[in-house]
Amino acid sequence: MAVNPLFFRKTLIAGTGLFLCIFLIVHLSANCILLLPEAVARGMYNSYSTTLRESPLIKIVAYLLYLSIILHVVYALLITIRNRKAKPKKYVINNSKENSSWTSQNMGLIGTMILLFIVVHLANFWARIKLGIGERPEIDIAGNVDVYEVTYSLFQNIYYVIFYTALMIPLGLHLNHGLKSSFKTLGFYHKKGLKIVAKISLIYAAIMAIGFGIIPFIVYLK
Amino acid sequence: MKVTFKIWKQDKPETKGALKTYEVSGLTEDMSFLEALDHLNEELVLKDEAVIAYEYDCREGICGQCGVFINGRAHGPHDNMTTCQLHMRSFKDGDTIVVEPWRAASFPIIKDLIVDRSSFDRIIEQGAYITAKTGTAPEANAILIPKEISDQAMDAAACIGCGACVATCKNSSAALFTSAKINHLNKLPQGKAEEHQRVKEMTYQMKEEGFGSCTFTGACEVECPEGISITNIAEMNARNFKAKLFG
Repeated sequence: MAVNPLFFRKTLIAGTGLFLCIFLIVHLSANCILLLPEAVARGMYNSYSTTLRESPLIKIVAYLLYLSIILHVVYALLITIRNRKAKPKKYVINNSKENSSWTSQNMGLIGTMILLFIVVHLANFWARIKLGIGERPEIDIAGNVDVYEVTYSLFQNIYYVIFYTALMIPLGLHLNHGLKSSFKTLGFYHKKGLKIVAKISLIYAAIMAIGFGIIPFIVYLK
Repeated sequence: MKVTFKIWKQDKPETKGALKTYEVSGLTEDMSFLEALDHLNEELVLKDEAVIAYEYDCREGICGQCGVFINGRAHGPHDNMTTCQLHMRSFKDGDTIVVEPWRAASFPIIKDLIVDRSSFDRIIEQGAYITAKTGTAPEANAILIPKEISDQAMDAAACIGCGACVATCKNSSAALFTSAKINHLNKLPQGKAEEHQRVKEMTYQMKEEGFGSCTFTGACEVECPEGISITNIAEMNARNFKAKLFG
C-alpha cells in the first residue's frame, strides 16, 4: 500500500524537529561562552567556531541541519494546506481555548515567526561568516575569524537585542508543544511516560527560551 | 427561562447557510438542551415556519447521534459529554446560545444541524471485524485476556462515533476515532489475525475520506463524550510503524 501522507509527513516533521531540538542544546551550550569575561570569551568563542567550520563531520551535520529545517518547514506547509482543506468552513464561534492551548492551535503561526527569526539570524551570522556576504569579519590575534566581534557588535544595537529576545517567546512555545508531540507522533504511548515527557518538554523549552533570550541582553550590557 | 438561540439554517448541502435568531421563552432549567430545541420547533410549527433539523436518537448519551456545536464547543460547554446530556441549567436566563453543525469537509451538511457522518462508517468497514468461526460459541475461558488489556480494549470500544473529535479538531482529524476503533480490536487476541491489515486499511480510508493530520492539540479528548484518551492516537502511530515493518 502506498505511503500514507497523514503519517509520513507527521513522522518527518517529528523526526526533523527532534534533531533540531538536539541541535539547540549544542547551540545554547556554545552561546554560554559569551557569558564569560571578554578576555577569555573572545579566544574561546572564535577557536570553537573555527573548529566547527573546519571539521568534516560538522560539515555533514550542518548539511543535515539545513535539510532538516527545509523539510520541517516544507512538510509543515503541506500538512497545513491539507488540514485547511479538511476544515474549509470555520465556526462562527469557537472557544478552542477551553479545550486546548493557544500554542497547539497556532503552531503554524508560531513556526512562521521562528522562520522569520532564522532568516534574520542567518543573515546576521551565517551569511557574513560562511558566505562572505556583506562586511568582512575581522581576524583575531590567534588568526581565527572574529565571530565574537560579529556577535558583540550586533548586540550593541538595542533593536537587535529586543528582536532576538522577543522571538525566543515563540521559540519556547513551539518547543514545548513540538517536543512532547513528536514523541506521540513517533508512537510513544506509555501514559505515565508521556506525562514525564510533557514535563521535560516544558523544562527544556523554558531553558532554551530563557537561555537564548537572555544572552543578547547580557552581551549588550557587557 | 428565556434565551436567544442563534441557529445555523441551511436548506440543502449546496446552498449557503446562515445563523438565524430565535427568541424562545417558556423554558425551564430542568429541560434538556434537546427539549429546548423541541420546544422551539413546536412554536415554529404553530407559526407555520420551517422547523430546525437536528439529529438525536437515544437521548441518554450512548448513541452518538446528537452532536452539535454549542457556543463554540462540541456538545456544549462541558467536557466529556453528549449534547443530549446537556441541560438548560448550564445557561443563564437571557443568554444567547449559538448552535452550529459539525464543520468538516468529510462531514458535509445535509440540512441545518444535520451532517453526513458516513465517512466514519466507511473507515469502520475497512477493519472493524474479526476472523471468527461461525457455529456454536466457543468455550468462554478458552481465550484468557488479562484484566488490564480487556479494560484498555473496552475504553477504546466506548467510542460512540459522534464525531465531536473531528468537529472540534482544527484539522478535522479523525485520528481519535480511528485509533479507538483500531486499538479496541488490535489489543484483543480475537483481533490479532488482521492486526496489520486493519491498521493499514483503516488509516488509508481515513486519508481517502479527506480528514486532516493529528497535530495533538488535545481538544478531541476534552470534547469526547467517552473521554477516550489521546494516547490512543500515539498507540495507533506505533501500530502503524509496526504494520509497515511486519505487515
